[in-house]
Formats: sequence, C-alpha cells, structure tokens
Amino acid sequence: MYNIDIDSEHGQLRRPLAWSLGLHLAFAAFVVFYAVFVSGMRGTGWGSGGGGEAMGATLVSAVPLPANPAETTNVLATESKGLAKSQSTVQEKEPEAIPIPDKNTKAKIKPAPVKSATQRKAAPEPPESNQIPYGEGGPVSGPYTMSAGGAKGGFGFTGSGGDFGSRYAWYVQAVQRKVSESWLKYEVDPRITEANRAYLTFDIARDGHPSNIQIEQPSNVPSLNQSAQRAIQRIDTFGPLPSDYSGSKVSVEFWFDYKR
Amino acid sequence: MWGRASRPCCRGGDARRSTGKGSAKVSNSVRYIRHHVLITTALLFLLATTSTAQDWIRTGTGLGVEKVRLAASDFKPSTNDAKNAELLKTFNDVLWNDLDNAGIFDLVSKSFYPLQEPGQPSEVNFPAWNSPPPNTSMLAFGNLGAAAGKLTVQGWLYDVKSQASPQVLGKQYTDDATTGAARVIAHRFADEIIFRLGGGVPGIAETKIYFVSERTGHKEIWVMDYDGANQQPITHLGSISLSPRISPDGSRLAFSSVTKSGWEIMMYSFDLNRMVAFTRFGGMNLSPSWSPDGKIAFSSSRNGYPNIFVVDGSGGNSRRLTNDKGPDVSPTWNRKTGSQIAFVSGRTGLPQIYTMESDGTNVQRLTDQGYAVSPNWSPNGQFLTFSWMRKYGPGEPGSNDLYLMDVASKQWVQLTHDSGRNDFPCWSPDGRHIIFQSHRSGSDQIWTMLADGTNVKQLTFKGANTQPNWSWK
Repeated sequence: MYNIDIDSEHGQLRRPLAWSLGLHLAFAAFVVFYAVFVSGMRGTGWGSGGGGEAMGATLVSAVPLPANPAETTNVLATESKGLAKSQSTVQEKEPEAIPIPDKNTKAKIKPAPVKSATQRKAAPEPPESNQIPYGEGGPVSGPYTMSAGGAKGGFGFTGSGGDFGSRYAWYVQAVQRKVSESWLKYEVDPRITEANRAYLTFDIARDGHPSNIQIEQPSNVPSLNQSAQRAIQRIDTFGPLPSDYSGSKVSVEFWFDYKR
Repeated sequence: MWGRASRPCCRGGDARRSTGKGSAKVSNSVRYIRHHVLITTALLFLLATTSTAQDWIRTGTGLGVEKVRLAASDFKPSTNDAKNAELLKTFNDVLWNDLDNAGIFDLVSKSFYPLQEPGQPSEVNFPAWNSPPPNTSMLAFGNLGAAAGKLTVQGWLYDVKSQASPQVLGKQYTDDATTGAARVIAHRFADEIIFRLGGGVPGIAETKIYFVSERTGHKEIWVMDYDGANQQPITHLGSISLSPRISPDGSRLAFSSVTKSGWEIMMYSFDLNRMVAFTRFGGMNLSPSWSPDGKIAFSSSRNGYPNIFVVDGSGGNSRRLTNDKGPDVSPTWNRKTGSQIAFVSGRTGLPQIYTMESDGTNVQRLTDQGYAVSPNWSPNGQFLTFSWMRKYGPGEPGSNDLYLMDVASKQWVQLTHDSGRNDFPCWSPDGRHIIFQSHRSGSDQIWTMLADGTNVKQLTFKGANTQPNWSWK
C-alpha cells in the first residue's frame, strides 16, 4: 500500500512538474525580457523623460544633472538658487590662504601649491554635479522657465515607476498652476524678503484629491512653510488623474521659492 | 535552472518507487517545490512592486501663473449634408468663445494656424502645430456632420508637444441636427477641455445667469446662458421683482417682489415651471440668499428695522441673526463653508460690509470708509467682491466701482476703473469670473469679466438689465 501510494504520488506529480518546468522557463524568459527591454525604457533618471516636450523636459537632459534623485534632494539643503558655478567660485577663494606660508620665508614648499592646484581641479567637480538644486538645473535656461518679482523656478520630472511627467505633462502643468493660484504670499512674514526654498510632498489620488501633505524639507522661515502647506490644503482637487494612467495615485514633490 | 532542478525529483521517483529512499526523494521534491514557490512568489512580488512603483512629479513655484497655449482648429464636416455649414459655424464660434472666456488659455490666433487643419487624429501634423508660428501646446480639433436629422460631433484634445502620447481627450456627441444642439455640444466639449486643463474645476459653459429686466415694461426675472445667449423671461408678475437668487441645486429661484402685503420673498420652481407658495413674513423682505445646504438668509423689517433673518428652504424655522437699529441688508453666504454670512450694515452711518458667523456671532467690519454695498462671496470662500464708492460725500467725485477683498487679510484690489456705476457683482461657479451690472454703456446692462478685472464683455443690450445672479453649477 505504501509503495502504491508513492507510485501514485509520483504519477500525479509528473505532469504538474512538467508544467512547472515550462512555466518557470517562460517566467525566466519574461523576467529577462522585462529587465532588458521594458525597464530599460522607463524609470531612468529624472529629467530624462523623452517626449515631455510640452514642458520642455527634454531640455533637462541637456544639463549635467545628478543621476539619482535621492542624492539631489539631499543636496538641496545647500539652498542654492542657481547652478553650481557660484559655489565653485566660492571654493576658489580658499586657496588664497596659501599666501600664509609666505610669511615663513624659509618654508617655501612647492608641493603645497601643487596640492592646492589639484584641489582646485578636484574640488569644483563634485559640487557641480551635486549642487545643482533639484528641478532647477534644467529649467533655469529652458523656455518654460518663468520669472516674476525676482523669483525663478521650473520643472523637473522623474519616473521611477513610470513616465508620468512626460506622458501627462499637461496634468503636471495643471498641478503647478493650481498650487500657484492657491498660494497666498501675504501669509509669509512681511519682514522676510528672501527665504530658503521649502519642499512639500503630497499624493494625488485617482479622483484628484490631494492627501498626505508633508513638509519634506522646511525653509528657514516658518511662515513660508505654513503658507506652502496651506496652499496645498486649500485645494479640493487637481482633477482626476488621466483615465489611461494605470496607477492609483501619483506623488508630488513641490517646492516653494519666496522672494519679495 | 529551475526546470533542471525539478527533473531529478521525477526521475528519482521513477527509479526508486519501492525503497525507503523513495520517500526521502519525495520529501526532497516537496522541498524543491516549496523552494520554487517561495522564489517564484518573491520574484512575482518584486515584479509587481516594480510595475506599480509610485510615479513622482517634481515641480515648484515662486512665480506667477502661466496660461495654457491652446489652438482651437475649426471642426471639419464629416458628411455632405446641407445643414453642415450652419451647424459648423455655430459650433466653431461657440467653442472658440467658450475657450476664450475660460480665462485659463492663451488662445492661438487662427491666422497662425497651418493651412491643413485636422479633422481626424491621423491628420494632425505635429511639427506644424508645436513650432512657430502657432507654437501651441494643446490642439482641439474634430469633425461634425449631420445625417438623417442627427448631428454627430467627434472632438479631440491633443498635447501636440508630446507626440508619443498626445491624446488628452476624445469625445463623441450625438443629438438632433439643430443649431441649439450644436451650441450645447460645443459648450460640453469646451467644458471637458476646461475641466482637464483647468485642474479639475468644471467649466461654466452650461451655466445660467438670472437677472432683472424691464424690457417688457415691468421688472421681471429673466434667464440667459452664461454668454448672453437664449435670453428668456421667467416671471410674468406684472409687478416689481428684484434680487433673483437660484438655489444650489438649480431647482428653485428665490427673489423679492412687491405684493399686496408689501415686499415679500417669492419662490419659483423649475420642477413645476411655476410660482410656488412661500411664507409671508410681513414688513419689507428683501435680498434672499441661499446657503450651500439650502437655507435662506434675507433682510426683513418685520420687527421695525431691517435685520438679517434665516429660514429653511420651505420658509420655516425663522431665526433672527442681527438685532440693531442700523439697517442690515444684502446677506450673502460663504459658499464654501456655509458657516459665515457677509452683509451690508448702516449701523455706523454709511453702509459698510460686515461678516458674521451663521449664528449671528462674531460680527466684523471689513470696509472702513465710503459707501460699500452688494457683497458676494467667492465659491472658494476666500474672497468677497462688492461695490464700493470709497470717496463719498460732497466734493468727492467718486463712483461705484467693484472691488475684491481677501476676507482673511482684508486686503483689497479694485477691479473696475473709470467706467460709470458698477454694482451687484456675482461670482461664477468656477471662481474665475464675475458678472455685474454697469452703466458704462449709457444704460444699466449686464457685463462679465475675469476675476482680475480683465476681459470685460457686455452680455445684454436691450432695455435695462440689472442684478445678475450666476447659477451654482
């Protein structure tokens, strides 16, 4: 009886295992195909959304932008308003400390200037690649850059799981417009003339309702943080997400610049 | 690899059916299967996580608001019916006007359009549209055709800067082949475009405007489309009717009218298409105003001085909100919250704008000088618009102009300048437009403008037309 049971068990397993073999092979082929082709076409670095011409997103790729969005968000703590050039010039001043050894007339060390020269070359590069504020590097010279009252800004998209920014540039523009309309600058402390950029994140549900509003990186002016948060809270809906978008929500990182 | 690993278990099972090792092999095969199930599950989870990874938008502001550059190509005929020409003209004109009035588009002049305008998606020449001279971001196009008394319209909205996935909107409408139907379809298509590109705010192309007209010799309540078309009388009372206010659901119209017992609040039902009975309060009852949940605030002098009262939609449960000698009139609800009421009071002399909670508490004065009347609350609850003669008195050549005030900060901005008497402003449901009465043309007429005071257009021309009220939706 025992043997018969085993026999019958193996007889039952043969066909399913053959199916399993076939399905595993098919699945492996699909994973390889997906990894090589499908994922290669989407989810590249931010600003690389081809087809985002409506927002001029293609121009972003023309600017040396950091590859990893996470890195750039950290770098934003530098609060730089422009490209890295201004910061590199600041660093060039550091070597002026070299004349100090001049006081020691005896000790004229030639390797020291050599080191400083190498530092000069080495120092600017990391900041240039990292110090471009996220979402600002590209649009600064782009045609869709807008300015008013001395403030500047623009767009930067990323598609970690898709290419929402480039496929639905019109929706992104509507979000930007609606938040801009909702932001009441008089809520910011009138004594403030300039503030560090404030970053907020929120989700847009399928019906367009914003939720999960959070200050990702606060400005140095609390009233700016509050006014930015209120600007999002005032909005009932951004309009339903595009009907052919498969996701259930989209996340937004929105920055607020303030300059009086 | 996984397939190869599964084979020995089968072979082993075949070769050692009757041995004790056979059971070991069986347990091995079960272990293999479990192992594979785990790996497969993990991979599926990984794949699912990858495919549903969250999309991010990163954007910002610090700037003004930029309008969407939109081209609205004339629709092309899709049939050879003789009615097509008339229907196309109506449709194209209405669609263009609706988009132009929306206030959120920078409409590209038709003189910049390519010679070959598309009627179908396959006919869209992207480079011709997304580069100068049109240099548009969005393109609305489509076709229209009448056949066997039926009108069919196909319309698309394309993001022509995004050639990979250009379609934002695609709609087909069918109705009777009449110019009226063509107007309605054009309104609906325009509203769809405005809804998509305007951040989810419904368009106003199908909204109505109620107003007072004395073109028949009596002041009666009339209605017209938001663009001034289809003007029709509603009441035929042969009396004096003023202050029409449509209910939030659009089913009833409240107004004040002279009756045998004096000025009373009257009610017209659009469900029954006739006047319906409403409570008579006695005294002078004026300027009704609907709350978002269907209550009515109005001014009543039943106790002597005009004060603000609130009743429910049927006229019952009357409640007095203000109680002072200064006349309190023209209440208007905060249309977003329904928890505040703005009104005009002469308690300090000249009429000024005040706000209070809906229970009559926390009265605050908003204007500090001149002669301020006719407040109307914006749909988002943020602004009040009203008519204000800031310099009032002997030797002051002031005139009634329209102003916008942010209720929270009391900051205001003047909307009309040097254009005669302007009064009775009322917000559109999208919060982007204001309709008002103006004497700038030499007689009182209804005008409309964007809420920033631009794009002023006259809507009525016959007789004297006053006190406009925009429907809620």
